[in-house]
Amino acid sequence: MAAIELDGLTKHYGDVVAVDGLDLVVEEGEIFGFLGPNGAGKSTTIDVLLDFVRPTGGSATVLGHDAQRESMAVRRRIGVLPDAYHVYDRLTGRQHMEFVVDSKEVDADIEAILERVRVLEAADRKAGGYSKGMRQRLVLAMALVGDPDLLILDEPSTGLDPNGARQMREIIQEENDRGTTVFFSSHIMEQVEAICDRVAIINRGRLVAVDSIEGLRDSTETTTTLTVTVSGADDDVVAAVRSREDVTSASLSGDQFVVTLGTDGSKFGVLQAIDAAGATVEDFSLEESSLEDLFVEYTTPGQEVEPGEPQAQETGPTPADSPGADR
Amino acid sequence: MSWTAVAKKDFRDAVQSRALWALLAVFVVLSVVLSYSYAEFPALVGGTEQATVGGLVFFTSGIVSLFVSLTAIVVCYKAIAGERELGSIKLMLALPHSRRDVFVGKLVGRTGVLSLALAVGLVVGLGLGSVLLGSFEPVPLVLFLVATLLFAVVYVTIVVSISATTGSTSRATTGALGFFLLFELLWDVVPMGVVYVANGFSLPAQMPDWIFPLMQLPPSSAYVLVLNALLPDLADAAPGGGVAGFDAFYARPELGFVVLGFWLVVGLAVGSYRFVNADL
Repeated sequence: MAAIELDGLTKHYGDVVAVDGLDLVVEEGEIFGFLGPNGAGKSTTIDVLLDFVRPTGGSATVLGHDAQRESMAVRRRIGVLPDAYHVYDRLTGRQHMEFVVDSKEVDADIEAILERVRVLEAADRKAGGYSKGMRQRLVLAMALVGDPDLLILDEPSTGLDPNGARQMREIIQEENDRGTTVFFSSHIMEQVEAICDRVAIINRGRLVAVDSIEGLRDSTETTTTLTVTVSGADDDVVAAVRSREDVTSASLSGDQFVVTLGTDGSKFGVLQAIDAAGATVEDFSLEESSLEDLFVEYTTPGQEVEPGEPQAQETGPTPADSPGADR
Repeated sequence: MSWTAVAKKDFRDAVQSRALWALLAVFVVLSVVLSYSYAEFPALVGGTEQATVGGLVFFTSGIVSLFVSLTAIVVCYKAIAGERELGSIKLMLALPHSRRDVFVGKLVGRTGVLSLALAVGLVVGLGLGSVLLGSFEPVPLVLFLVATLLFAVVYVTIVVSISATTGSTSRATTGALGFFLLFELLWDVVPMGVVYVANGFSLPAQMPDWIFPLMQLPPSSAYVLVLNALLPDLADAAPGGGVAGFDAFYARPELGFVVLGFWLVVGLAVGSYRFVNADL
């Protein structure tokens, strides 16, 4: 059974399309990264999973339950770190945890969980006085109460310093090791890359890619761009380089010779080829594309992502990432 | 039963409202002053020679109803709209609570807060009054408390329901104050206007009988009627005690219960319908 299944999920806010026919399956036991720029529809999708908003079309299923009709059954089995939430300023950290324990009707060692997220020493202070990072960790602690089968984390690293972000990743990994499925959204590829089994990239409400990190790397042929400063190069030199199998493109303008290579291209081989064809290599620089570039490429507005599959060229305002926040 | 968790959390939260305790302080001072002046100068302020606990109850009911309505607005206008605007409702609704549970929990929690403040104020004010009058009459006091609590529940329901219709606290404020303005301050004019229109744009020499129930639509008027119904002996003795002055099936103090029931049902229906179907 899938942990999360989206079937043609669509959500309109008036004329604005926040989520547009999303199909997605998250398997049980995986750490799944939900990636997209701000306003891509990530939070709207998560809001549907939690029944904060009702879809215009399609459906969402969480742990085998319909996210709208059986939302209570869903919410009994999940832990959530929402986006754009606010803690109860006048309640202490401990009172927040007691509220969750009362609500889920479970036994939980509140102190142990607070210890784990390093908020225990502030447990009896009012949460209104917590720093952003402490609040984030408190809400993570609330999500962990009752050993949920699925953790839904919306931008979990928000407000955390690098150390806090690393601890967050460790906790996510630990929970996953216990068998918990983790679904988390981010607009930063780096965070997702480090721990996710699979990743979905969405942009303007549409799915643009779903794959494992390795799969994404392979499918995009991480290219290397070699910029060589040459003297004495002519069309023959260009032709000689272009004829190499590992070269995808080569162009000469003035003394700048720009060559792009496929995944296993040999940079040294290219330099040698230039030399052998009679030109002199004065200098060169390298640039490797990363998953981050891929992400940017997938999600830059107005850019054709895959040849033959025209993207919707909407230039209208992108929907706010969390419509709830500005209503 | 998940509304109990919501109610508990909500009580803990709202009971810490500074505005609530400031209002309570004003209420305590006022009720002490009123009790004292009624007990010491009954003829002057109460219009009767014989000061009684029942008279005191009616004498203070005006200020009590003002306190309940204002405090209900202050304590409740943000109950749901505020949580939606800030986003704390996401923490609550990520937990296994239905929207209806949240709504009911909010009602119970805020009613608890208002009742606590009310109890403190009334015990001080009426306690002092009883001491000064040298007589303690539990029955009218308890009936007064019951009626006042019922009134408080209705007001909380109205304001929480207004709060549940929107995700914006400024709109909730406008709604709650608008309600207060229309029904508590300006309502006298409305039935007049209805009569004026119904009579072909002129006022009749004598007001028709059906204006009476219309006049009782404000919750505070219904509250006074309920007091009349529960304490009929005292109501007759107290100034302004008599009710309609004519016979009709609706011209009875029990109408007060009907009106309060009406607000309760309308509030619950509108508030929960709007909240349950909202996109947060």
